[in-house]
Amino acid sequence: MPTGRSVLRKAVSDQRRYVVGGSALAAAHQGGEALVPVLIGVIIDEAVTTGDAAALLRWLAVLAAVFAGLSVSYRFASRAAERASEQAAHRLRLEVTGRVLDARGGAEAGRLPGALVNIATGDAKRVGAVNGVLPFAVAGLAGLLVSAVLLLRISVPLGLLVLLGTPPLLWLTHLVGRPLERRSGDEQERAAHASGVAADLVAGLRVLKGIGAEAAAVARYRRTSRDSLAATLRAARAHAGHDGVILALTGLFIAVVALVGAHLAARGDITVGQLVAAVGLAQFLLTPFQIFAWVNGQLAQGRASAERIASVLAAPPAVVPGTGVLSGGTAGHVRFSGVTHGTLRGVNLEVRPGELLGVVCPDPADAVHLLECLAREADPGAGSVELDGVPLPELDLDELRSAVLVAAHDADLFEGTLLDNVLAGTRGSTVEPALAAAAADEVAGTLPEGVDTMVAERGRSLSGGQRQRVALARALAADPAVLAVHDPTTAVDAVTEARIAGALREVRRGRTTMAVTTSPALLAAADRVVVLDEGTVRAEGTHAGLVDSDAAYRAVVLS
Amino acid sequence: MSTERELLPTATARRTRAAVGQLLRPRRGLALGGLAVLVAATAIGLLTAPLLGHIVDLVARGSTDFTLPVAGLAAVALARGAANAWGLALVSRLGEEMLADARERFVERALGLPLEQVEKAGSGDLTARVTTDVAVIAKSVREALPELGRSVLTIVLTLGALAILDWRFLLAALLATPIQLWTVRWYVRRAVPLYAAQRVAGGALQHQLLDTVGGARTVRAFRLSADHVGRVRGRSQEAVNLALRGIRLMTRFFSRLNLAEYVGLSAVLAAGFWLVGSGAATIGTATAAALYFHSLFNPVNAALALVDDAQAATASLARIVGVSDLEGERETGDGAAPAGASVKAAAVGHAYVTGHDVLSDVDLDLGDGERVALVGASGAGKTTLAKLIAGIHRPTRGSISLGGVSLDELGPAATRRTVALISQEVHVFAGPLADDLRLARPGATDEDLRAALARVGATAWVEALPSGLSTVVGEGAHRLTVTQAQQLALARLVLADPPIAILDEATAEAGSAGARALETAAGRALEGRTGLVVAHRLTQAAGADRIVVLDAGRVVETGTHDQLVAAGGRYADLWRAWSGTRS
Repeated sequence: MPTGRSVLRKAVSDQRRYVVGGSALAAAHQGGEALVPVLIGVIIDEAVTTGDAAALLRWLAVLAAVFAGLSVSYRFASRAAERASEQAAHRLRLEVTGRVLDARGGAEAGRLPGALVNIATGDAKRVGAVNGVLPFAVAGLAGLLVSAVLLLRISVPLGLLVLLGTPPLLWLTHLVGRPLERRSGDEQERAAHASGVAADLVAGLRVLKGIGAEAAAVARYRRTSRDSLAATLRAARAHAGHDGVILALTGLFIAVVALVGAHLAARGDITVGQLVAAVGLAQFLLTPFQIFAWVNGQLAQGRASAERIASVLAAPPAVVPGTGVLSGGTAGHVRFSGVTHGTLRGVNLEVRPGELLGVVCPDPADAVHLLECLAREADPGAGSVELDGVPLPELDLDELRSAVLVAAHDADLFEGTLLDNVLAGTRGSTVEPALAAAAADEVAGTLPEGVDTMVAERGRSLSGGQRQRVALARALAADPAVLAVHDPTTAVDAVTEARIAGALREVRRGRTTMAVTTSPALLAAADRVVVLDEGTVRAEGTHAGLVDSDAAYRAVVLS
Repeated sequence: MSTERELLPTATARRTRAAVGQLLRPRRGLALGGLAVLVAATAIGLLTAPLLGHIVDLVARGSTDFTLPVAGLAAVALARGAANAWGLALVSRLGEEMLADARERFVERALGLPLEQVEKAGSGDLTARVTTDVAVIAKSVREALPELGRSVLTIVLTLGALAILDWRFLLAALLATPIQLWTVRWYVRRAVPLYAAQRVAGGALQHQLLDTVGGARTVRAFRLSADHVGRVRGRSQEAVNLALRGIRLMTRFFSRLNLAEYVGLSAVLAAGFWLVGSGAATIGTATAAALYFHSLFNPVNAALALVDDAQAATASLARIVGVSDLEGERETGDGAAPAGASVKAAAVGHAYVTGHDVLSDVDLDLGDGERVALVGASGAGKTTLAKLIAGIHRPTRGSISLGGVSLDELGPAATRRTVALISQEVHVFAGPLADDLRLARPGATDEDLRAALARVGATAWVEALPSGLSTVVGEGAHRLTVTQAQQLALARLVLADPPIAILDEATAEAGSAGARALETAAGRALEGRTGLVVAHRLTQAAGADRIVVLDAGRVVETGTHDQLVAAGGRYADLWRAWSGTRS
């Protein structure tokens, strides 16, 4: 069972080659950066003060070597860190996607798609980013050690002053900054709100135009924008103040180091060049400590993100698959026996092989729960669902879903051409009859490139009615032994709906079909109609018969 | 519908600069003040190096009293911190106020654009500008610009200080400049297209995940898991590859800057060597020059690395200004007021693409208060007719008048007060529910809102919301069902209270049970108005005063439900199939 800790640990250990290599190189880079001010001091001492030209050339060559080293090590350290970070994120992204799509389901429970996508992108990235910062944490430590050694070699008291003085200094700036940062964080969030409101108003442009509300919308945006401006300005002032305090404290610290160093130099304990180097190192030392603070923040984020990823990976499956296979052809005989699930209270329902059964659920929840059990997205609390006499939990999920297809009311289309979408459920069979039966050929006819027109993600480039017809064509093209369709034509006009109802009967001839709907056109085409009420079967007959004899049925279907 | 996209315009570089000038002009004082304070802060900071150099000189001279220079260092630290904070606050205010003005002007123009123009460009164009482009500019204003400004000031003033120490130090330092300029040119040429590709790949990955994860149930039902994991892998790998190309480019950029640092630093040290040797400078001066140059490393790197941010912000700004400069709808009305709430379409024909008529010779009269249902297959022209009557498109042929006044004479503003169109597209505006409703009537009291909700049968679920009318709804908050969102649209119609209302497929997307609730709500929202209803469910048509059947852009039948059923035409066939009575 994955936990946040194990997710994070695995993300790092999978990429250890790059993390370790990157750390060594980043440490070399930090060391090089620390040496630059030291070398400036040395050149002042050995060449500028003495006027020794040979020494100048010699030390400039050393400086060149240091620059070359720090440059090359930075280049490859960054590349290794980025690779480790990106690759870890990529793996986690695929792992999360794989878990969400797992046939057993259960990962989406209680999570909106947007939240899951954020976990697969943002959280995966933040966990990966831990690999990207670890080398720099190691490097910061190396820089700290090198500076410490250099400082202590210049002078023990001065070195101790700098080394012991820096942490309290940074702690002090952190203390000053914390309330400011918190405030600025809150206010930035409120500032981001304005952009959200603008996007929202533009998204609802047609609605605004439809009721002539543009002026009211502009006035509302202006108010939001001004509120956001006020919040941003408060945040910006806090930020500026924070920056100022840090600058002032650092400057004061350097003044103290200079004072102590100058006295040591005056006493002859250190040279002028060493004084210069010590001041330079004091400035440089702030960097490693700042790196530690940054790494700490990234680690905290990475841990929180790893927890979220682990919670998806460890989500309990919605159903436990069986191992049974269906021998030979499936007759398509479905039987619900005493099914109690959600709003259902002991439903007994039989769908005979080859029939077109209409199911009317005045309570939409009954329909959802009935189809959930048939698709095995959930198992009923009591009772059973059988296919050709085999209880569904005994069947392998892949086997079951190749025989029984439940086409949900809100089924999604995917990015790709219209034809790709319809072909998705087929095993390469011809799709023309399905396109025609669902009147999706007409949809293709109105699109610029016919069936080869690209459909945007989740079918957003199509209207509701077009989407429904393409989704129905996909379900029909899959040609399963048992097909259940749920309200397949609610967004289709009455003329087309009547045509679809007739064609559905023809294209499904000889195979079992269940239409859960209150559409009179579809129900009129069914062999038999079953009416559920209060979670149980209340009536059965033909559409015409029920219209004649059952006032409640008339009220549900025809009013 | 037209297939070509006519993207909204982008401003020229010159026009963009002029727009920035317009935003800047009223704030000239603030801009100059902010700049002056930041210059002062940077100049004060530059005193650190000569003070340290002075200490070095005092040591070299054997002096032991460092009180003055150290006190100077402390004073510099405090003054620099204070001036920096003040200057940054002023510059932030300048940038944020300009940004707020620019985005408000943009939204005002964007919402005022004729819908026809937005639809031609695709609403994605406008949305991208209002989200991505505004965010890019805001990020620049908040992060890049202050950093860039500070770095540039530091660089300029440091170079000036070097010149004051000795002009030959400046000359030595400038040896680094050609390398830096060449490096930036080299980098920007490669970085701009690469970062654009990274954004595209990131967007594609996000899209793919939304597609796959959002449709997870469908993926499972059709056993498409392997295919979809493969799709995500492809998109993700592409994003990873581009990120790695990005880091390679960036590290090569910094390597070249390292070279410039080395060249400049060696030159300054060599100049110091020569100047001290010839007695033109003290060791302290040479030290200060070297420290100055070393302290330039970070600001130079920061400024150069921000060049592509600045370029991205300029491009975004051009897209914002392009829309802000557009003209709004032209007000053509001559003040004529509609008499009553009748609708008359005479010999109306329409084609989106010349030669492909969607409507031909449509005559339609709606009397004051009459309710007419439009029935027909998809593509019969129902939605087009609805849009023409609502004044969203102008008919290619024929004329439309409301209350006896033609749409041209009425003008867009009066048209919108006279007729409302509730379309298939439902949108719940993010924010408190009451705010959403008040878009339709800004001055409405809570009582008005409740009355409107009651009229469309929404009282029960609104009362059940966690905070009633104040519940925050919409994207990212409490999500309403499709039925609830459509009831909300009808409540807005009640509040806007136009004499004429058109409902286009307003009940289409709800499940069948929701559809019935909405039909009732629609009926009540239309009370007291002239109503044209695009009917999906025949029961909705059956309840109307009159039914008009459209086929391939022409009116083929018209009459009451009973008349049409008796006539035995198309409508009668449909109705028979519905009611289960076989002929």
